[in-house]
Amino acid sequence: MTVGHQMYFTHTRFYERMSGYDLVDIEVTHESADDLLDSLSEDGTEGEHLQSIQAVRLQAGQSDSELRSLKELDENSVKLLEHQVDAAYRALFEMDGKALLADEVGLGKTIEVGMILKEMHFRQTDESVLILTPAQLAKQWQAELREKFGLDFVCNYDDEFEDFDAHDYIIASIDTAKSERHRETVLKRDWDVLVLDEAHYVKNEETDRYDLIDRLSYNYAFFLTATPIQNELTDLYNVVSLLRPGLFGTRDVFHHYFVNSNQETLVNRDELQDRLNKVMIRNRREDTDIDFTDRTIDTRTFDPTAKERELYQAVSDYVRGAYSQDQGQKLVLMLLQKEVVSSPVALKQTIEKRLYDQSELTHADELESILDLIEEIDTVTKQERLLDIVEEARDTVEMGRVIVFTQFRATQQQILDRLASEGYTVHAFHGGHSSSEKEQIVEEFEEEGGILVSTDAMSEGRNLQFCNILVNLDLPWNPMRVEQRIGRVHRIGQKRDVFIFNMALKDTVEEYVLERLYHKIDLFQQSVGELSSILSRLEESGTSFEDEIFERLVNAGSEVDLENDFDAMAVDLQEQRDLANKLEEFNSGVFEGFDLGESDD
Amino acid sequence: MTDAAVPVTQSAVDRFTERYLRSLGCSIKHSDDHWVVSVPDTTDTEISPGKHTLVRGEGSPNGDSDNTKRLHPESAFFQQLLREAAERSPTGKLSIESESDIETPKWLRHSDVEVQSAQFTPYYDRTAVVILFGVGVETVSEYQQELLRVVAVDARSEEHLPRLAESFIELTSLGSNKTSGGNAQLTQTEAQPLLEIARKLVLDGLQDQLDEIHQEASRAADSEVEEYRQLQEQRIKELQEDHSNLSSKISDLSEQINAGDGDSRVQALRERKELKSEYADIDETLNELRERRDSGFPERQREIRERHSLDVQITPITLTEVEYERGEVDFELLAGNTSRTVTLGYGSGIGVTETVRCTLCDEELSERNPLQTISNGLGCENCYNER
Repeated sequence: MTVGHQMYFTHTRFYERMSGYDLVDIEVTHESADDLLDSLSEDGTEGEHLQSIQAVRLQAGQSDSELRSLKELDENSVKLLEHQVDAAYRALFEMDGKALLADEVGLGKTIEVGMILKEMHFRQTDESVLILTPAQLAKQWQAELREKFGLDFVCNYDDEFEDFDAHDYIIASIDTAKSERHRETVLKRDWDVLVLDEAHYVKNEETDRYDLIDRLSYNYAFFLTATPIQNELTDLYNVVSLLRPGLFGTRDVFHHYFVNSNQETLVNRDELQDRLNKVMIRNRREDTDIDFTDRTIDTRTFDPTAKERELYQAVSDYVRGAYSQDQGQKLVLMLLQKEVVSSPVALKQTIEKRLYDQSELTHADELESILDLIEEIDTVTKQERLLDIVEEARDTVEMGRVIVFTQFRATQQQILDRLASEGYTVHAFHGGHSSSEKEQIVEEFEEEGGILVSTDAMSEGRNLQFCNILVNLDLPWNPMRVEQRIGRVHRIGQKRDVFIFNMALKDTVEEYVLERLYHKIDLFQQSVGELSSILSRLEESGTSFEDEIFERLVNAGSEVDLENDFDAMAVDLQEQRDLANKLEEFNSGVFEGFDLGESDD
Repeated sequence: MTDAAVPVTQSAVDRFTERYLRSLGCSIKHSDDHWVVSVPDTTDTEISPGKHTLVRGEGSPNGDSDNTKRLHPESAFFQQLLREAAERSPTGKLSIESESDIETPKWLRHSDVEVQSAQFTPYYDRTAVVILFGVGVETVSEYQQELLRVVAVDARSEEHLPRLAESFIELTSLGSNKTSGGNAQLTQTEAQPLLEIARKLVLDGLQDQLDEIHQEASRAADSEVEEYRQLQEQRIKELQEDHSNLSSKISDLSEQINAGDGDSRVQALRERKELKSEYADIDETLNELRERRDSGFPERQREIRERHSLDVQITPITLTEVEYERGEVDFELLAGNTSRTVTLGYGSGIGVTETVRCTLCDEELSERNPLQTISNGLGCENCYNER
């Protein structure tokens, strides 16, 4: 088709409202109508012209705006809430695939993104997807997308991960992506979809993170944050400008127009709301129909037997001594410290491996004597006390269903044997099963009742809302793990109150972690969303939770020091928690009265 | 301005596909989500003759042969059908029959006065052209927007007929069974000037939308200019620092030269020469930058604004000759015990063509100021409320 005549016209309308900028040109091209006029002299058939008109009108129509992949989702894996479906719909169809998902904490932003990605997958507009998250959350994203939406992503912590140009669906920690090693590869690629979790961490335009996102090339982008505003209103400008450059004009214009002089409140809200509505979705808790049942926490601390205490002391001494000599062994030492409070049998396996398979010579004597101590133990306190809990359950809850979590396979096996010998119906669940086997196990547990003893492989597994009693036989030193365990049973769809039993031995690291840390931040009452905002903050300050615990444990000079150290860590956590709460309040204050969704009224 | 796009739902896809394929002479057998379509050898279509299986929506294909195709809004097969059908007959003729329902004007629809009956008496046939325009709006900062707009113009009076455009949209909806009235009678020479008028009208109708996009694009250009300006300011600052560092190094060297002797003096002279040339370079760059800054970086601004400029493309896609009738309509009105007959100019597909005024105050009757009384001529709501 040849180009017809062109014309330029100048606008006479006056844009005083946002004053201060020049207008760009508008070039109007009228395409030639020769072909169309030529067809006037051609003969057509009855009915054809109407069909041509209808075809043209369909071609121009918004391609079907319904979420068609929803029907493919397994209702048992994910229960979608109305506000989540709305958000996914608006992000995709009303915001043209560039949206800031800013629901309040705990309303399921990950689910919204899952739905969006599922739909894009269905429509085949997702050849390459990059999800950037804080390091802590990468694996959790991977598990959720897989279990709830059947979407397989490679995570940068997986063994199979090669580089950012080797896979098409990648979940990575944002800091890995921006590292010197990967940065160039990440930037070289044209991504179809970019997802940025905890987007408020890129608020500062002078950081490497901001620079990375700014330079990334992508067609669609979904940014997630519960707190778009961290410190000042400029944060909102920065995050939104990454997604939709120019939506707010220049920084100066934004400041003069939308922010009052003390930087604390927004002015010209209506105009701001109009603009934000083009890019941001914020659901508030009170507007949704989420209703969780109660959660009761029963933490039981037991006196270890004299022999158990002796073993614990020996292992702790060994760990402290070995670590002071060689910090490279940190992971294995950490493992021993965790195993000693889980079960002697778990500990035994690791020590034997070190002694006989890896020919550990430097501390052979010490390790041998620990093995001797293990042999001497005839009563394993936690296992005995576990019987009290399951027995009570057998009498009081439907089919006596209890799920017991442990971190270690050896502990798991021993408990299974013990429970079976007491006449309980038992089921085992661990990472060694294939996924169809896992499904089978969960089904059997539901049908037969009894006790399911599981490792943390379950955290990436199924939903067990048909069970409402959970026992933490040992405790991961990572609060997210704990919440993931609880999340298996205490989730949308759980109709009964949930009971969580935590088991710990007195005067051990577990007691410290439980009493001083987890209870201080109310871990057992936080939702995953709330927890992740606390932990991400912590991580922001460069700390890994597990490392913190371990370092404090091995470096403390005395019992008193240790207590103080843990208290100090609790104070830090409490501070992060308060900060997270304050931010949440601040954001709801700022956006108060903002109807950021579309309404039919 | 009327938007002519149709939402592409699965049911729209089904309906269009079935009707189109049947019009080509194909037969279709339905079973759940699978349609078996037989395409005869003689059919003029890009679809190959023989049997094809269409799998509707999200249904899963039974086999994976070349003759199995998906049928949903984005499926390649459906898109192919649309392209083919759209190109088949872009011009033609439709007529709006006079027996279709008489349209009551808004000032009467929102009134308490009851319409007892309405009778249309057509006096003469009229012809209009209705054109569908594809409009593409593109900028670097906004998403490309594709719109479909419809404009109707009377062929003789060249009057703009927005109501007729709306009737056209109804007439050509997917639910409509209306068949074409055959080939258009208009010649190219007759159609050309009407097309020009329609082009102007479609652009006028886009004004508000373009204004908004224009404003946003301008804002985006402006932030880019601002960013560039800040970057250059930064650069000027750095150069100034280099400049003054060099200047003090040169004066240090000058002191050394004055005080030194022999080799060290020669060495210092050599260094000073190098530094001076560097100093001159920076000086030049700095002056140039300052000059550009003082004049507001005109080239860069122009380049940025050019890049952000709006590109609007308007393409006429179909042209339909629409026959409609003009004449008079008699509305028999009733309010309480009073009745009255009002006769007004009327056109099929365009409704009442006359404005009617209040007998008392001469104010135009409208949706906001509807007819309130017929006891003394036609009285408007405003007059009634003031009594």
